[in-house]
This record gives sequence, C-alpha cells and structure tokens, in this order.
Amino acid sequence: MKILVINCGSSSVKYQLIDTDNEIALAKGMVSRIGMSASVLTHKPHDRPEVKVSGEILDHIVAIEYVVSMLISENHGVIKDRSEIQAVGHRVVHGGEKFADSVLIDVELMRELRNLIELAPLHNPHNIRGINACQKTLPGIPQVAVFDTALHHSMPPYAYIYGIPYVLYKRYGIRRYGFHGMSHRYVSQQAAAMVGKPITELKMITCHLGNGASVTAFDGGVSVDTSMGFTPLEGLLMGTRSGDLDPAVILHVMAHEELSLHEANTLLNKHSGLAGISGVTSDVREIVEAANEGNSNAKLALETYCYRLKKYIGAYAAALGGLDVLVFTAGVGENSADVRRLTCEKLEFLGIALDETKNKETAGTETDISTSGSRVRVLVVPTNEELVIARDTQRIVEAQQP
Amino acid sequence: MPVAKIIIIGAGVMGQGLAEAVSSSGNEVILVDKTTKLAERGIKGIAESIDREIHKWGLTQSDKKALLARIFPSSDLSQAEDAETVIEAIPEDLQLKRSLFEKLDAICRPDAVLITNTGTLSISEIAAVTQRPGKIIGMHFLNPVTKIPVVEIVKGLKTDDETFQKAVEFAELLNKKWITVIEYPGYVTTRIIVPLLNEAMHVLMEGVATADHIDEAMKLGFGFNVGPLALADMMGLDVVMSWMENLLEELSEHKYNPCPLLRKLVRAGHLGVKTGKGFFEYDADGERISPKSTTE
Repeated sequence: MKILVINCGSSSVKYQLIDTDNEIALAKGMVSRIGMSASVLTHKPHDRPEVKVSGEILDHIVAIEYVVSMLISENHGVIKDRSEIQAVGHRVVHGGEKFADSVLIDVELMRELRNLIELAPLHNPHNIRGINACQKTLPGIPQVAVFDTALHHSMPPYAYIYGIPYVLYKRYGIRRYGFHGMSHRYVSQQAAAMVGKPITELKMITCHLGNGASVTAFDGGVSVDTSMGFTPLEGLLMGTRSGDLDPAVILHVMAHEELSLHEANTLLNKHSGLAGISGVTSDVREIVEAANEGNSNAKLALETYCYRLKKYIGAYAAALGGLDVLVFTAGVGENSADVRRLTCEKLEFLGIALDETKNKETAGTETDISTSGSRVRVLVVPTNEELVIARDTQRIVEAQQP
Repeated sequence: MPVAKIIIIGAGVMGQGLAEAVSSSGNEVILVDKTTKLAERGIKGIAESIDREIHKWGLTQSDKKALLARIFPSSDLSQAEDAETVIEAIPEDLQLKRSLFEKLDAICRPDAVLITNTGTLSISEIAAVTQRPGKIIGMHFLNPVTKIPVVEIVKGLKTDDETFQKAVEFAELLNKKWITVIEYPGYVTTRIIVPLLNEAMHVLMEGVATADHIDEAMKLGFGFNVGPLALADMMGLDVVMSWMENLLEELSEHKYNPCPLLRKLVRAGHLGVKTGKGFFEYDADGERISPKSTTE
C-alpha cells in the first residue's frame, strides 16, 4: 500500500510517500517557510538526486498541492497519478485521554481534534491544517490520525496524576499524557532487535532529543512513565521550552511583568529552554560551539540540558528497578556526542559505560556506543516516526475494508 | 502582490490592529491608505506593536517575519476589486465614511462583504449611499484589536442574513467572541463605558479624589484591568469627546454631556497617551511616567 505520511508544523510540511509492501520511502521531502517570502520545497526521490524548488507557498493547502504535483511529476515523481496514493497518515500531537490508538479521520474526529487544541497549542492547530489541506487536495482518500500520546496510555495512574485536586482531573482531563509516542515506540523495538532479546524481557529508557525532547521508561516494551506531561512543555530542558519548573515561578513572573495568559504561554514555550538561558540559540550544535568558544551562558545552557536528562535517567532507572538498555534518538540524540557524553558521565554506578571512541564516531547510524563490559547497552538509534505512521495507517485502513 | 481576499482601508491605529489580527490568523491582507507613505507608516506601526509584544515574550522574531510577510501596503483602492471582505477603519466621520463606501460600491464584487468599523455611527446611514445596503455591516473592534477578545457585530436596518453570517465567520477567523447589536447609537460598549468615564472625570473635577485614587478604587473595587481615567487616556480624549457629542446629538440626553474638564484637556491638546499627556503623563513608548496625575 502506498501511503503519504504528513507531519505539519507551523510553517512546514514534512512528507514521505512510503510503500508499506517493502517499507521503502519512495520519496521524502519538506516544504519550509510556508507563508513567508521564498518558500522552499525539498524533494528526494529514493532513486534520483534531491531537487529544490522555491516559490510562493502561502498556506498548507498550497503546500500539499505542491507536494502531490511533485510526487506525480514526470522528472522527479515516483508515481504516475495521484490516485495511486491509497491513504494519508497524519502525525497528530495530542490525542487527549480518548485515543489509545490511531484512528480513521471523520467529521466527528475533526471536532475532537479541535477540542484538543488547548492542550497542544504549538502543534495541534497545524496538524488540523494539514488534515484539512489533504481533504481538499486528495478528496475521498482515507486519512488516519496517529497520535504522539497513544503509546503512553499504559502509564499507571500514579505516574500520570498530578498532585493537585483530583476534581481537576475529572473536570478538565488534567493529567500527564506524554508525547513522541511514535519515536519512542519505534526506537524501543529497534533497540530490542539490536541487543537480540525479546522486548518483553527488557528494562529500557529511550531519550528522544529533538527540538522537543522527552524520555520514556519501558518495562517489557510498555511505557510506564515519560517526561512530557499535560502538554509537551514538561520534563527536559528543550530548544525553546522550559521543561520542569516550579509552577510558582510563572505566577510570580505573570504578576510582576503583567503578562497575559498568551504571553506567559509563549514565554515558556518559545522564549525559554536553551534559547532562554543562552540568549544565543536554541540549536544544540550552535550551543556546543558557543560553549567551546567560551560563552558562559551557552555553557550553562548545555550543562543544564544534560544535567536534567541525567536526572531523568536516574529517576527512571529507579522507577523500573533496573536498566538494560539506554537509547539516544532524534536530531540531538543521534548526532551530538557531547550531549551523550555529558549525560552518561557519572552514571557508571548504574552500569553505564560509554565507549568514548564509538560515541565520538557515531552520528545518525544504529550503533552500540557502550563498552563491551558495560552492563547497560547504550545505543544510538535513528528514529523513524514516518514508518510507524505508515504501518498504523495501513492497519487502520485495512481494518475498515470489508 | 498576490490577490488577498481581505483588504483593510485606513492604516491608522485600528487598521494596523486589524491587519495584524488578520495576519495572525494566517491570512494575507492588503492595507490601503491614501498614499503609499501612509500605508507604509501603518506597516511600521504594526512592526512596532509586534516588537512590544516580543519584548513581553508574546511573540518571537520569526513570528514577526511571518506576520509582516502577509501584510501588503498599498495606496490603490482598486485593490478591493477582487476582495471577499473589505474592512474600513478610517476616521470616525460620517461624511468620510459615506464617500468611501460610495467608491467601494463602484469597485467591489457584488458578493463582497463591506464592513465598517465604527463605535457610534449609523450603519444604515452609511449603507444608504450604496446600491447594496444588504452587504454593509458594522463591526466594532476595540483598541488594541489584537488584545481585546470581543467585537460587536452591528446590523443595519437592511443588512441581510448572509452578510451577518460572513461577519460572524470573520470574527471567528480573528478568534474573537462576538455579540450581536441591532443598530442604535453607541451600541453596547461605547454607550455604557462613555458615561462611566465622564462620571469619573466629574468626580475628579469636583475634587472628590485624585485621578490616581479614582482609578485605584475602580480597579480594585470592581475588578477593572485599567482605571477609567487611564482608559480614557488610552482611547484618546478627543475620541471620547466625539463619542459623547455623537451620543448627545442622537439621544439628546444630559448624561452624554461631556464633562467640562474633558473639554478643557481636549482644547489644550492633552489628548492622552498619544500626546504624552491627558489625565496622566506618558513617555514616547506610551508607558506611564509616574503614577502622579497631571490635574492634581
């Protein structure tokens, strides 16, 4: 089955056309700078060189239209006609408490998704825009929503409940949900295959370190805790998000700076994290460079980032009552040897021993970066959320067919 | 320049706020004023408003780029030719608005919705100069448009239901709560706030309490975000006075008689935040210089 996988951000659309028969991405690409001057479409067919087109792409509808024309174009296309696209799978960040699995998109579901915007203000509106755009561009083709939150439905109540009046959970669904489900699921399964043991026998911690970042504790392949909570703001320090914070801090700042809810929200989501501490950038590579050049705030940001991650690993090792596998994935996790080294430092007592050379040499490939004597296997596993979305989409669409 | 479906006429404070709000909704918008220079000054005003919001952590530099990239300045009214929604935000003067709508009537598509942004004027009187009074509707946005979450949708006598529905959609596009108003002088917000502001000015004039204490009492006593005198300064004392005179003329009620202190300040050119002095003093960024009032 040929499935178009779509991941919409505020000004970007990432896509892959995946043939699930052989799990090959026939083409992948990205439209960036949507709504800005000089938007760019980067398209890479699996068997030909990458092409870049710039033009004016005003919104997600135009972006998806460009993507489809590229997929069927004579020179760069990988299919002959848009009717070859048999289904569309969308990444949707927040599925709330309702969705424990991926679902077929219909009118009712769209209403549910709009109700969930408040829970993921940075992501859900764009995901919805992408779904609307595909409904216009590819009418009549089944579409499936795959949620970041679904994996973590297995968390026990004591891991997801907050220490505030229980009535708020009943009234507004205020609890921890967790995110990055597709990524944590994918890398945990790959990791089990790499160490050659059934996932049901492994205690594993997976660190997804991208622009957003989260850690998940897996006991026998089941998510039992994860660092993101009610929204993708909780947990680790991220590029522009604060992560864990004494809630009184924001009340204090709101009162003293006379901030509106919107301003406070943007402060925590877009002006904090590495960017907020360093005052330089939200990009870990640039933070590391600046720190090496002696920028003390960049150094502090990097130390805070790794220290927070180290604490979570320790906490989850305790929650799991042991640890067999530690996984690093996503942009920073796959590529930053510095972050991996700083994070694993002093974790030898847990049985973690990093092979310095392997760590340094590994970027973006499936590699075991621990020493042969390390009790815990430390792995770098490139994530593949799109493949998870394509597999789920196929499963859901096929289940619909009589 | 691309064909924007939404066009705003008048690049003053309200037009700027509307353009920013439309752009925030992800739509492109053309901002028209009499000259390119005035339209570009409007863009500059929007950029400054965004900068203030960045300073308060409400927006980011990349938001700024994206927001400004969707707003196109123009001095060409004929740009309204292809627009689906036209919003007028020129000064609150019936004759000016009537002559603009006469021009728009000749330019715009027959199915375009023509919105007048007014706080007190008669929609029916504006609509009367056009051949399509059913397509004319009032929307009273409050300043600052990007921050105030409510809009009054004002139906003129001949406004048709389809036009009303499109105004509702436009309000929702901008993420505003809306209320329906059947045309009547002052609608709801202006009619109720104006006598309150006027009464606060009387209390000050009669020496009952200082400006600061009046505002403090109303803020803390009734949960207002801003005290009435500071609010009048923000609205512009000349604007407040013109609303009152308008209401007085339409309704002939003594309670709309502008307070003599208000007349005095307006005559002296102390118009509030925009001139740096009204009931209080302000710096170039519009921040209160000191809590001391100027009339103590």
